[in-house]
Amino acid sequence: MDKLIQLCQDVAKLWGKYGESYITGMQNTLILAVSATLIGCIIGFVCGVLNTIPCSPGDTLIKRFFVKLVRALVRIYVEVFRGTPMVLQAVFIFYGLPYFTDNAVQFRGSEGIWIAALLVVSINTGAYMAESVRGGIISIDPGQTEGAKAIGMTHVQTMTNVILPQALRNILPQIGNNFIINLKDTSVMFIIGFTEFFATHKSVAGATFKYFPSAALEMVGYLCMTLLASFLLRWVEKKLDGDSSYELVQVDALTMSAGTYNHPDKGSPFDERSKEHGKKGGK
Amino acid sequence: MEKLLQINHLSKTFGKNEVLKDIDFTVNRGDVISIIGASGSGKSTLLRCINLLETPTSGEILFHEKNVADRKVKAHEYRSHVGMVFQSFNLFSNMTVLQNCMVGQMKVLRKSKEEAKQTALYYLEKVGMAPYINAKPRQISGGQKQRVAIARALAMNPEVLLFDEPTSALDPEMVGEVLSVMQDLAKEGMTMLVVTHEMAFARDVSTRVVYMNEGVICEQGSPEELFGNPQKQETKDFLARFRNN
Repeated sequence: MDKLIQLCQDVAKLWGKYGESYITGMQNTLILAVSATLIGCIIGFVCGVLNTIPCSPGDTLIKRFFVKLVRALVRIYVEVFRGTPMVLQAVFIFYGLPYFTDNAVQFRGSEGIWIAALLVVSINTGAYMAESVRGGIISIDPGQTEGAKAIGMTHVQTMTNVILPQALRNILPQIGNNFIINLKDTSVMFIIGFTEFFATHKSVAGATFKYFPSAALEMVGYLCMTLLASFLLRWVEKKLDGDSSYELVQVDALTMSAGTYNHPDKGSPFDERSKEHGKKGGK
Repeated sequence: MEKLLQINHLSKTFGKNEVLKDIDFTVNRGDVISIIGASGSGKSTLLRCINLLETPTSGEILFHEKNVADRKVKAHEYRSHVGMVFQSFNLFSNMTVLQNCMVGQMKVLRKSKEEAKQTALYYLEKVGMAPYINAKPRQISGGQKQRVAIARALAMNPEVLLFDEPTSALDPEMVGEVLSVMQDLAKEGMTMLVVTHEMAFARDVSTRVVYMNEGVICEQGSPEELFGNPQKQETKDFLARFRNN
């Protein structure tokens, strides 16, 4: 019990002295995680769509070649970035680009570090999302595609109006997963000098030697961020699902607005065009 | 009589399985053609080939004298003139009933939102689904879904409507509401091709009945001829099985 009280006091002291640093770290973590998840989703959607371009043996050779080529490129991208640690990717890109371009491309200053971190986390998220999106697209009933094609939609129209909105809803839990993973895993960006939440811990602990109180504070901080994220994601899911009930529309109001007002003596507009009504009118 | 569709020597194979064998077939404007036959006889494949949802292996599909089976023809443009109603409805589950009937008009026919809404409401009212415009497909019954699907196809103002077993996935008490909508369409002079197991519909509503067996058109004629006096033994056997049920 004494230890707990001591811990609370230590944490309070740390917060009093370095509170601002912790908050800045949290802000950076949040901004990086949110923007990288968004960009990653866009990359994932593009890759997922490219991966599902229909290709039949009847198509021209050039088209089939390009479709195969695009699929191969996406596959390589996904396998490479899913199959290597993000911390290494960060080092690889941060030091690799200047190395290969003879310092023509460099990540200079804090802006440079921001760009590098955003690039690495986005590309990484994109690799995971590409597979999620592909799964989301193939999970949609093929009947939806046929229904869209049957009314004359092109592949792109079918995708943007019918398939992707449904796929997006289905993979929302996965997007949430990725977002929460990003909140935590952006901590590896300290390796290229990015000052996010975990980097704050390193510098504060280094200056005060209070490793454990600082770590405890960080634990609570990360948990708060992820819990808030889970809560928001659930809320968004509910919003997207829409109302579980619907309202019946009063037929009178409707027919007036549709310009096809029906009167009991005249019958419905249906009757007016049918042969039977024609006979009646002829009498 | 204006010739709308003419099918010449149409064949379709899936792997080694020859589903359609050298089909010749004509559809005139105003025809209501019922295609009957046992399961696996190629009825649905024929309909799907006509709408190019399946690519024919060989043969021609002439729509207004133009071969649409040719790869140079844009399939989506042709499909906007040919409506299709599916056994499993295939309503877009991310849209309301009204949006289902509007999206094609706006995206494919490039109509304004207001115009699309007027047309959608007109046809939804026609199939008796106007009160449900704000419902999502998962909230309505099978018969209601199929009526919306018919309205969606009609809203595109198609020249011919294809029905692929429109009542086969419905509970028995809902079959009637869909058939009566189809019957009214037929009376108005809509050109229709209906793959069906509803013999009463084929007999009473259609102008021509086509009996398919093992990928070929075995026999066709007016409902009176085909049901009253079938010529081929296969047709007699098939109809006898239905009478026994």
